[in-house]
Amino acid sequence: MIVFEYIAEILFYGFMILTFMGGFMAVRSKLLMHAVLGLAVSLFGVAGLYFFLGSPFLAMMQVLIYVGAVCIMIVMGVMLGSTPDQLATKNFSGQNLLLAILACSTGFIALFVAIGQTKFAPAAQRVGDMSIRFVGENLLFKYCLAFELISVVLLTAIIGAIILARGGREEKAS
Amino acid sequence: METLHSILPELIRIVICAIGGAVIVFGNALVMGYAERKLAGHIMLRPGPMEVGWHGILQLVVDGIKLMGKQLVVPKQADKPLYMLAPILAFAPVFAPLLLIPFSDKLQGFDIDVGMLVILAFASINVLAILIGGWSSNNKYSLFGAFRSVAQNVAYEIPMLISLLAVVFMTNTFSLREIAAAQSPVWFVLLQPLAFLIYIVAMVAETNRAPFDLPEAESELTAGFHTEYSGMSFSLFVLGEYANMFIVCSVATVFFLGGSSGIPLPYFEYTGALWFLLKVYALMFFLVWIRWTYPRTRFDQLMNFCWKYLIPFSLVNLLITVVVVKLI
Amino acid sequence: MKSYFSELFTGAWSLILGLKVTIKTMFTPIVTVQYPREKLEITPNYRGHIDLIKDAETGTHKCISCGSCQRECPSDCIVVVGEKREGVKGKVLTKFTLDFTKCSLCGACVEVCPTKALDYSNEYELAGDARSDFYFDILKRVEERK
Repeated sequence: MIVFEYIAEILFYGFMILTFMGGFMAVRSKLLMHAVLGLAVSLFGVAGLYFFLGSPFLAMMQVLIYVGAVCIMIVMGVMLGSTPDQLATKNFSGQNLLLAILACSTGFIALFVAIGQTKFAPAAQRVGDMSIRFVGENLLFKYCLAFELISVVLLTAIIGAIILARGGREEKAS
Repeated sequence: METLHSILPELIRIVICAIGGAVIVFGNALVMGYAERKLAGHIMLRPGPMEVGWHGILQLVVDGIKLMGKQLVVPKQADKPLYMLAPILAFAPVFAPLLLIPFSDKLQGFDIDVGMLVILAFASINVLAILIGGWSSNNKYSLFGAFRSVAQNVAYEIPMLISLLAVVFMTNTFSLREIAAAQSPVWFVLLQPLAFLIYIVAMVAETNRAPFDLPEAESELTAGFHTEYSGMSFSLFVLGEYANMFIVCSVATVFFLGGSSGIPLPYFEYTGALWFLLKVYALMFFLVWIRWTYPRTRFDQLMNFCWKYLIPFSLVNLLITVVVVKLI
Repeated sequence: MKSYFSELFTGAWSLILGLKVTIKTMFTPIVTVQYPREKLEITPNYRGHIDLIKDAETGTHKCISCGSCQRECPSDCIVVVGEKREGVKGKVLTKFTLDFTKCSLCGACVEVCPTKALDYSNEYELAGDARSDFYFDILKRVEERK
């Protein structure tokens, strides 16, 4: 049985590396397409981690939803953003750099404190029988807050899309 | 020694599953490639391939060898790593769903309790592969093909999921084996005819086949997203397409046509698998039949049909199913 | 609302009709002829290049070497040569060639022939890899023909 544990361990670190590499690629790529694909890789890594933690349902939902989301993001990026052969200019300087560091460190510290204070139940337990009743009850009672917070993310995405689209249109008009 | 004992059966199982999956993917592509050309011929009053072997039966083998022998051309302005990645990404994910399909009561790679979601998740990766391939070719026709594919697949995934969800509500499980087993007296095609029809339409659109083959509409877009691909990278796209056809037809069989149920033959243990394959290939025949019957839809018609007809109908169907399940 | 449903039903019905048409066609016999192995019979109306008619009674052609066809030919592709021989009435044909690369199949030679010695052949498998493949010796052809 010890071999299986090694394999699981390797998979865990593999998925972690995948997540970080994808995230790095998403931030540092010069082409929009590469950045969005980095995001896809990162999200796939997160799906792998969910699988590792014993929740295949969440892992598959992650793949199912985010593949479509990434595709649409690429389409939007190609339509609204710069042309594919135009490389992104470096804008990590001055005020931008300061704001970026501030936002990132705030997020990091908030998460770090939150994670440090939580007592986690041991993972890899069998969570349930995955019947419709089980999934529905968990989503709408036990994890109701998380479920609702996801819709906030969607709202942010919609607002961001509107701002991007309007910005592009006004520039053209002037 | 003891560790080996516990791992070995599992390892053998994995190897056999992998080989079985490869056999299905390549065998299915051979059979369907030949059947498609032959049926297309007969529908147009011509015989189809006739030269290689008896009635051209070896035509696809010869075609495969030819494609393997061809040069892989990479356009100069293409994004090379992504360009090479796309066909692999289109082909590789088809193996995971094949492991989960219950060919009969005994013949199944693995059964996990979210089987339906695994199949849909891996099937959706195909869109990403098409998009990457179309974009990285750096060709306007490829890009247009890829864009159409995204719009179409994302739209048609919704009615597909909702129609399958109606069946899931009736069986209260995502496991493919249990869904197939739940319809031993009555097939769900009789209880959920509307969901079945919606699924069939969405299935054709999801596999990018005529009349919904806008991503590769040859009269407008040369060959759509695979315009620039040649040799083996092109054939990986084709293999992926045929494997996807097999998978969506298997899902239809499991969800609506009673899986492997059928009249058992005497002296043969695996009749279930035979019935299963018979149903799958009957559906595949239907796919080929409609491909050579209907002209290609216009893009606005395609989107209108999805958003104005399929999604409302599937939602209504889901609602009725929920009410009926709750009351009974 | 009413048109929404009626459109749906008429549309669905037309799709079913289409399927019926193709499935019927699928089971009707194939009309393709596998060409090199099977051949269609050529209609008598077919106008190939010209040929001399072999007369069943005399066993030879009826050409009198008058040269009308050569004169009539707009493309100047027919050459007729005849010679006078001892003890034979009229001229004897010694050479009758057709340059098919220039022939436009107008049929003026057939029309003008006073003895009706010329006709169109049924030859259609005419493919060659050199220009010289289309210089036909019509006289030789009529002699070789059974």
